[in-house]
Amino acid sequence: MARMAMAKEQIFALRRQIAKIEGSLPERFAVPEAASGCEAALRRYGRPEKAPAAGVPLSETGAPHLDAALGNGILQTALTEITGRETRDSGAVSGFALALAALVSRSGEGRETARPVLWIGLADMLSEGGFPYAPGLEQFFGLAPEKLLLVRANRLEDGLWAAEEAARLGSFSATILELRGNPAKLDLTATRRLHLRAREAGRALLLVRHSAEPVPTAAPTRLLVSPAASPLRETLAGPLPRSIGPPAFAVTLSKSRTGRNGSFVLDWNPHDFAFQERWPSRERQLVRKNGRAQDSGDLVAASFNGSDSAPAPWGGLAHGQERKRAS
Amino acid sequence: MGRNESAPADFPPLVISQRENNALRIAALNEQAELLGLKPGMGIADARAMYPGIEVMEADPDADRQLLESLADWCDRFTPLVALDGRDGLFLDISGCSHLFGGEDAMLAEIIRRLTQQGFDIRAALASTPGMAWASARHSHSRDRNVPAGQEEQTLAPMPLAALRLEEKTRTGLERVGLRYVGALIDAPRAPLARRFGRMLVTRLDQALGVVEEAISPRLPVSPLSAERQLAEPIGTTEEIERLILILARTLKPDLERRGEGARRLLLSLFRVDGVVARIVVGTSRPLREPTTIAKLLYERLAALEGSLDPGYGFDMVRLSIAVAAPFEMEQTDLAEGTSIAEEEFSLLADRIRARLGEEAVLVPALAESHLPERRARFVSSGKEIARPTRTSQPMAGGRPIRLLEKPEPVEASAEVPEGPPLSFRWRRALYRVARAEGPERIAPEWWREEKPGQTRDYFRVEDMDGRRYWLYREGLYGEQTAPRWFLHGFFP
Repeated sequence: MARMAMAKEQIFALRRQIAKIEGSLPERFAVPEAASGCEAALRRYGRPEKAPAAGVPLSETGAPHLDAALGNGILQTALTEITGRETRDSGAVSGFALALAALVSRSGEGRETARPVLWIGLADMLSEGGFPYAPGLEQFFGLAPEKLLLVRANRLEDGLWAAEEAARLGSFSATILELRGNPAKLDLTATRRLHLRAREAGRALLLVRHSAEPVPTAAPTRLLVSPAASPLRETLAGPLPRSIGPPAFAVTLSKSRTGRNGSFVLDWNPHDFAFQERWPSRERQLVRKNGRAQDSGDLVAASFNGSDSAPAPWGGLAHGQERKRAS
Repeated sequence: MGRNESAPADFPPLVISQRENNALRIAALNEQAELLGLKPGMGIADARAMYPGIEVMEADPDADRQLLESLADWCDRFTPLVALDGRDGLFLDISGCSHLFGGEDAMLAEIIRRLTQQGFDIRAALASTPGMAWASARHSHSRDRNVPAGQEEQTLAPMPLAALRLEEKTRTGLERVGLRYVGALIDAPRAPLARRFGRMLVTRLDQALGVVEEAISPRLPVSPLSAERQLAEPIGTTEEIERLILILARTLKPDLERRGEGARRLLLSLFRVDGVVARIVVGTSRPLREPTTIAKLLYERLAALEGSLDPGYGFDMVRLSIAVAAPFEMEQTDLAEGTSIAEEEFSLLADRIRARLGEEAVLVPALAESHLPERRARFVSSGKEIARPTRTSQPMAGGRPIRLLEKPEPVEASAEVPEGPPLSFRWRRALYRVARAEGPERIAPEWWREEKPGQTRDYFRVEDMDGRRYWLYREGLYGEQTAPRWFLHGFFP
């Protein structure tokens, strides 16, 4: 028993060292405190988060573990990066972004006075992945057609300019900037500008990147999204076999304010406008098999593709700033 | 106003050739060639035989036309009413403009001076009617002529018939009967003249004398309001232009207020020193009056043009016109003041984005009563005044995707049973295995709308092994002449 404990101690010491080398925060590797009932799920997310810091508006996603990892919800006044690996995942990736936009626009203000959502799409993405379709947006995310404004930009500079202007304005509940690939122009400076604008105006700015590799950006939160098999359609007689239920997403939090990462499978409830988290046991069967969002059962989520995706280059500077602001 | 490019004295004799009736003839020539005794209309072969040293160039009517148009643009600085006249003339309607240049004579002198400086050999005349001005510009002996009102008859009488802008046939007919000067026509009885030579002759005469009103057709629509600045020192930088825009917009504001209007379309004309005119048009989604707002919109357009706007040696005149004005609605502020402010901000942003990214950059969804997905909702430019169709009562039958491809993309699909959902499909060269499928939802073509309606579509929602959800449809029915084809139309979250 004692030897086991010592071995564990050693492992944690090593992990802390690794964390130091990788430049990420050691808390994410800390020994989780046993939480009531859901230890299995919590072990990856570290300590339960403290009460939300006053003054930082947050939107709860409805998924308790994701909320905990995010620090009690999605930041309403920040740049949030949502990345998808492939263009063909555009349905899931943009769907997740819209779900966040719906959450942000719904919190605080009433449904009637909800402000419009601005969708800035680069022309090549709109032709490759399709235009937003208003009836579907209303059906899944409650976004009324008159509350949607689409800007088609031919060049990235134009898109960035429009996003900056829109974020500065504050008359949109959320601004979505959608593009493809890893353009060199979308660097730390550009994303930092976007983030500052969003923070000043107090509006959410969602950077949706399709067919992209995670690269360093100034966004305090990065979510990697890929599609997940949807749950079965619920009927009175139980789940209907071979049916397609509500939208589902496999989400990996690869950068967050709290410094914690994790993978989640979320179902979107289009009636309540909230996410639901799936049980890990089911998650293992349903998540796609390429290991991206798979629960490996390890204490620390295994990194994939060689390294943990893009650690903050300045050693968690954005994170530190958020903290300062919060306190 | 005549036009003839003159060359410096040390240039060789130059003639411009033009093909007329299968023979090359001289269309125009420079002073040196004129001194040699050559004349327009002479055969090129003859001219070459006489003077082998002359240089011959072929006429380029398109380039001439372009030059004339750019000259007309330049003349915009004198009056907004500029019309082209034939191949080599311009009409300027200067009613109400001459006082800005110190009177009619001073204005005429200024026009001649500035065009001569640019290297044009011009003839100009000023008169009460376009016909009279045309006649004295082309057929009077002096290069500048201001025909005072009331003296049209005396001035016109000694001129040849060509001064009346007559057709060749009419003119030769008149000359054959011995009428060579306009004076002979003025006193002649009119009815026989009209009967023999057509109504046009009498009309032309009346137009020149001012008995009949003649309107010139300006090239550009006239703006209801405009303000301009002439600059002693040409400006070139964007900042200077922006400062001027703000000043001009401030000048326009009281006029707009008096008329109870706001600008819906703004036109900024930048007159370059060397005669090139750049025009910048910006549309607005609601009538604007505030100088700062107007200036902001134009800044965006200027910023977008930054590479392509060439200031050259600088702009010496800037004019801001309100091309389209609309009644300005005085806004009653209500208790929920915030919403109107937000809306104003909103439309201003849309205008600015349009100004910078182009008219078709800002789109809003428009709904229509239709079952066809692409017709049910599409994106239209938000700048257009469209009655936005409100929510329709149509019940949503099946699930609808959140992204719809502009054009459905063909896929190769294989199905277990002919009418059933696909088992697998190939899209953009990748194979997808269908894990689950829901459908079909049959959408029939709208035969009442189109001549040739499309085919019946059976839509399926399918989920592949990786959890991606697609909207596929099979077009056509089995048993028909053409085999059904599969398409991918949209994506679900």
